[in-house]
Amino acid sequence: MKAGRRHGLRRIGAVALATAVLAVAAHADQPSAASSEARTSRTGAQIFAHICQGCHMPDGRGATGAGHYPGLAGNPTLASWQYVATTVLNGRKAMPPFGLPGDQYSGFLKFVMVQLSDAQVADVVNYVRSNFGNRFKASVTAAQVAGLAHPGAASP
Amino acid sequence: MNDDSSGRALSRRELLSMIGVTAGSAAMFQAMSSLGFAADSPYGGPIDLQQAPKGASVLVLGAGIAGLAGAFELRNAGYRVQVLEYNDRAGGRNWSLRGGDRYVELGGEAQECRFDKDLYINPGPWRIPHHHRGMLHYCRTLRVPLEPFVQVNYQAYVHNSGAFGGKPQRYRTIKADYQGHVAELLAKATRQHALDSSVSVEDQEKLLESLREWGALDENFAYVASGESSDRRGFDKAPGGGLSGRPTPSEPIALSDILKSDLWQNIAMGDVYDMQTALFQPVGGMGRIGEAFGRELGPLIRYRSKVIDIHQDEHGVTATYVDPGDPAGTRMSARADWCLCTIPLSVLAQIPMNVGSAMAQAIAAVPYASAVKVGLQFKRRFWEEDEDIYGGITYTNLPIMNIGYPASGYHSRGKGVLLGAYIWGASAMEFTAMTPAERVRKAVEYGSQIHPQYPQEFDNGIAVAWHRSPFTMGCFGIWSDGARAAHYDNLCRIDGRIALAGEHASYINAWQEGAVTSALDAVGRLHQRAIEQGAKA
Repeated sequence: MKAGRRHGLRRIGAVALATAVLAVAAHADQPSAASSEARTSRTGAQIFAHICQGCHMPDGRGATGAGHYPGLAGNPTLASWQYVATTVLNGRKAMPPFGLPGDQYSGFLKFVMVQLSDAQVADVVNYVRSNFGNRFKASVTAAQVAGLAHPGAASP
Repeated sequence: MNDDSSGRALSRRELLSMIGVTAGSAAMFQAMSSLGFAADSPYGGPIDLQQAPKGASVLVLGAGIAGLAGAFELRNAGYRVQVLEYNDRAGGRNWSLRGGDRYVELGGEAQECRFDKDLYINPGPWRIPHHHRGMLHYCRTLRVPLEPFVQVNYQAYVHNSGAFGGKPQRYRTIKADYQGHVAELLAKATRQHALDSSVSVEDQEKLLESLREWGALDENFAYVASGESSDRRGFDKAPGGGLSGRPTPSEPIALSDILKSDLWQNIAMGDVYDMQTALFQPVGGMGRIGEAFGRELGPLIRYRSKVIDIHQDEHGVTATYVDPGDPAGTRMSARADWCLCTIPLSVLAQIPMNVGSAMAQAIAAVPYASAVKVGLQFKRRFWEEDEDIYGGITYTNLPIMNIGYPASGYHSRGKGVLLGAYIWGASAMEFTAMTPAERVRKAVEYGSQIHPQYPQEFDNGIAVAWHRSPFTMGCFGIWSDGARAAHYDNLCRIDGRIALAGEHASYINAWQEGAVTSALDAVGRLHQRAIEQGAKA
């Protein structure tokens, strides 16, 4: 029963976000800075260009203010695809979790969360690990991502 | 708009999760009202700390609303107070962008605000509900003049690009028609004895009368074109004087069209506790509050101070900081007996600080939300001149989500500034990923679907994406129910000599009142501990 419900959530969230991403992609004419060297799925490139680069920057170099956003270029933690995928799924410190099913949020906080399907997480992990000068194999699959712990999975 | 192809009923949670990704703020606020998010401010009047222990000192980190209110009260109680602030101004997210201001976001994009004199946008908070008594207390104390903020404007629009051919509808029309049709249906059910088991016969009489009143129904309990219904939804020709003054009633929109349009999602906004009239804004911009605190505390605040380490020992707390503009990165330090740390968790989670694992885990448990605001200056106030819109908000399913009209300077000649976008969720992330110029361009492009005057009248714009803000790296803390249960109390409990405060340490997230009540709560406990320990460094 629980698995079925999770499955339903995952499917709907994935479709909805894909729609949101594609809707913007259709009229956003700002190309991803990394698109010329993109060697992975278009979906991964789109997710990076429409979500990740907001903080990690179009060139993947991060930024520094009162704190910092880590760069993805030459970042040794990218050697572990599990580390990267877990970070996307569960978030890390102030970085929001993007995994499905999401954690439980009250009131309007439900509406600030964005959720990616396991396939989308795999795509963006592959994209990040094979761009910005990174040369890791872009072979992570949705099934592998599904095998990792997901946020809120244990909550009722 | 969303098809569930399996055809099974959606659970409440699935429905909400779907709305969150695809719909606008309308749906969010609708859910806020139905889920009871809004909570009364626990502010219980000005605090009165007794005299501070002789010579006791407090280091306040961050000059946002929490740090400023905390520093103000501690100073007044006799503590020696020093405040370290990353920016070169006081206020933090309490902030207005005005003509001549320069803003450089993370990534290095610089924007010059080119608004005319007296025009501004508030990139952060923009309204103060009448029951946010803590904020209002400081406005009164600091003599920051207030004026009404217009939340509900019946003349503003509700808009769904997929309904009514994309034509924006007046709030009044949709509200009146939704209410009228619902009243008619309920009256019908009552008169057909469908409610006999739940409503007594005497009460049914009253119910019918009330439905006629509430829904502007006719003598047969029907919602039809009439003087009464037009008095709610607007006339085809409004009443006037003389021979030409005879009004023409308007025809209500069919219930099915109202329901299919989803615009009913937008009509309960002003019923939400935090949005109920009266609301206020400082004259001249929300940032006037931070500026007034800055003047009040004067030399107690050290600006351009980026905290890079916080260390406590058995006698006090030392913060190490650098000037973010100093290429040499010269390390400086400040020390006091106690520390009130109001640095947003997005930043604090990266600063080495020797607190116990309970507080450390709490600091790392709170993700930060995205939000984007775009201010647009136009050559004239066409929303007033052409459309009779004075203040208030238009809600749309377009990615811009909100258009806010200025609740000040009515009928001013010359240029005017709109809040051209106020965005949360997935669209906020997408706008954050654009350059500032692209955000402005998109806000104009989308807004043109609602106000065709945009392309002709647009002058210039400025865009703030909160995840690109160097001083907060996000808009506000998002507590999941699980994280709240596991970590919230640990975040707020004093660890040794360090207390945390800010909207993130409150149940009123994203509101300034959360920052104020959190700061006063923390300061009260810190003071208690200082008295108990004598506070000598």
